[in-house]
Amino acid sequence: MIETLGARTIRGINNAGQFARFAWQSVLTSVRSIGHFRTYPLVLSQMNIIGVRSVPVIMVTGAFVGMTLAVQAYDQLAGMRLEEHLGVLINISVVKELGPVLAAVMLAGRVGGALTAELGTMNVTEQIDAIRSMGTDPVRHLVAPRVLACLLLTPVLIIYADLLGILGGYFVSVWQLGINSGAYWMFSASGVELYDVLVGVTKGFFFGCAIALISCYKGFTCKEGAQGVGQACTEAFVASFISILALDFALAVISKAIYNSFWPFKSLVS
Amino acid sequence: MKNADQNKQTAEGGDNGVLRIKNLTKRFGAHLVLESISLGIEKGKTTVVIGPSGCGKTVLIKHLIVLLRPSSGEVYFKGRRIDNLREQELNEVRMHYGFLFQGGALFDSLNVFENIIFPIRQHFRINDWKVVEDLVKSKLSMVGLDGFQNYYPANLSGGQRKRVALARAIALNPEVILYDEPTTGLDPIRADIINELVLKLRRELGITTVVVTHDMKSAYKIADRIIMLHRGRLVADGDAEHIRNHPHPVVQQFINGQVSDEDLAALRMSGTVSQTQFMPRDFAK
Repeated sequence: MIETLGARTIRGINNAGQFARFAWQSVLTSVRSIGHFRTYPLVLSQMNIIGVRSVPVIMVTGAFVGMTLAVQAYDQLAGMRLEEHLGVLINISVVKELGPVLAAVMLAGRVGGALTAELGTMNVTEQIDAIRSMGTDPVRHLVAPRVLACLLLTPVLIIYADLLGILGGYFVSVWQLGINSGAYWMFSASGVELYDVLVGVTKGFFFGCAIALISCYKGFTCKEGAQGVGQACTEAFVASFISILALDFALAVISKAIYNSFWPFKSLVS
Repeated sequence: MKNADQNKQTAEGGDNGVLRIKNLTKRFGAHLVLESISLGIEKGKTTVVIGPSGCGKTVLIKHLIVLLRPSSGEVYFKGRRIDNLREQELNEVRMHYGFLFQGGALFDSLNVFENIIFPIRQHFRINDWKVVEDLVKSKLSMVGLDGFQNYYPANLSGGQRKRVALARAIALNPEVILYDEPTTGLDPIRADIINELVLKLRRELGITTVVVTHDMKSAYKIADRIIMLHRGRLVADGDAEHIRNHPHPVVQQFINGQVSDEDLAALRMSGTVSQTQFMPRDFAK
């Protein structure tokens, strides 16, 4: 029992160390790749696969988040005769939390799974070793373009999710629930600040980076066989999901501290 | 005899060796795969590494290009120690190698043309595409596949994939080519085509060649020198004639394809076929 526990702990620490090394190397290589024009076609190709092709599913996710929030929150607010404040509740939830987190979770499933499966298959069919044998760094060729594409496009996709969440919430609130359109937008504008939108979009950089690094790491270290690739995909999604939630919490704490420290001075700059 | 083989091997690796391994040991966790292997690979010669499945042949060949790092021991390329180099420094060394992987390891998302120019694009700036097209054409002609430039790996047979992989392996005009089981999974005719290609490349380009195989017909045909591994140790080393007449029972069993007494006894212990065999219909009873 103690032996098993010890072995698992050592394995866990070992894996964490390996991931930290991989992540550090990947981030360094990605930063260096920005200066190499040869990497740009690879990054653009990944941006198309990761970003452009994810737009529809992200928009659908965002729209349903806004619509569901409207339906769920209406009764509580109507009970207090505050239904016209529905806009602020929906929009602040969407831009600050639900839009970024659910868009990132959707990306972890759609993009993270595909990245792990692709790199995992390349690993077990020795294609990654083939890249190394030809004197090329597989991290530079395979990981850096994916990290950069995820890093750059996750915030953009979050903006899409936010926009559709806001629109979805608006249509259900105004058309289905009969809230006055002018009042809806007025309360929304008074309650949602630019800072809230910035916090939500900034989360995208962290979520995108985490999804790409975890998925690529799992692909690079996946075990042989179809079962190995399948297991790596599952592990990549679970690890990405937990990372998104943990990062979301950490960023919420940090953004709140920053807001309390600096945002009161906004009147000086506006 | 075993010691004599190993002593000869170590001595040979001294001066002429373009590749040299000293006291190489490799462990994966508690599993010992290679134990104190020392050998040198002579320039311009074809060295064939034989041995039963799981004896460490592929692990050995991957150490020659440092795709795997030794647990202990040293690897030298043209007199320079390479097993302790950083990946970035190793990438420069690896430009002098070609590696044919067991399954070809062609990139699925790239066509044949793009696969072959991959190493060229990684190391050189292409200004004149006509030159590159001619180069790809010449490499594909060498392996008898000119005209297949636009095919994707999924549309090629196993033998064609290996030939394209070979064309890619020679794209940078390497000094050393490493072949990992080049004839495995191919029918006898296609296997012989690969053997002829190995001989042709060595003859025409003077490339130092290391082949890992358990196909003895292939080994006898292409080898200047044959090395046998057994349970992670070097048990025989010499030309084809030396290996044919080698007194070590393990070598004779392997080259003649005979099961060992130990394995036969294990088979007998496992009972008769009629005792153990059942059909799916038995489940229905």
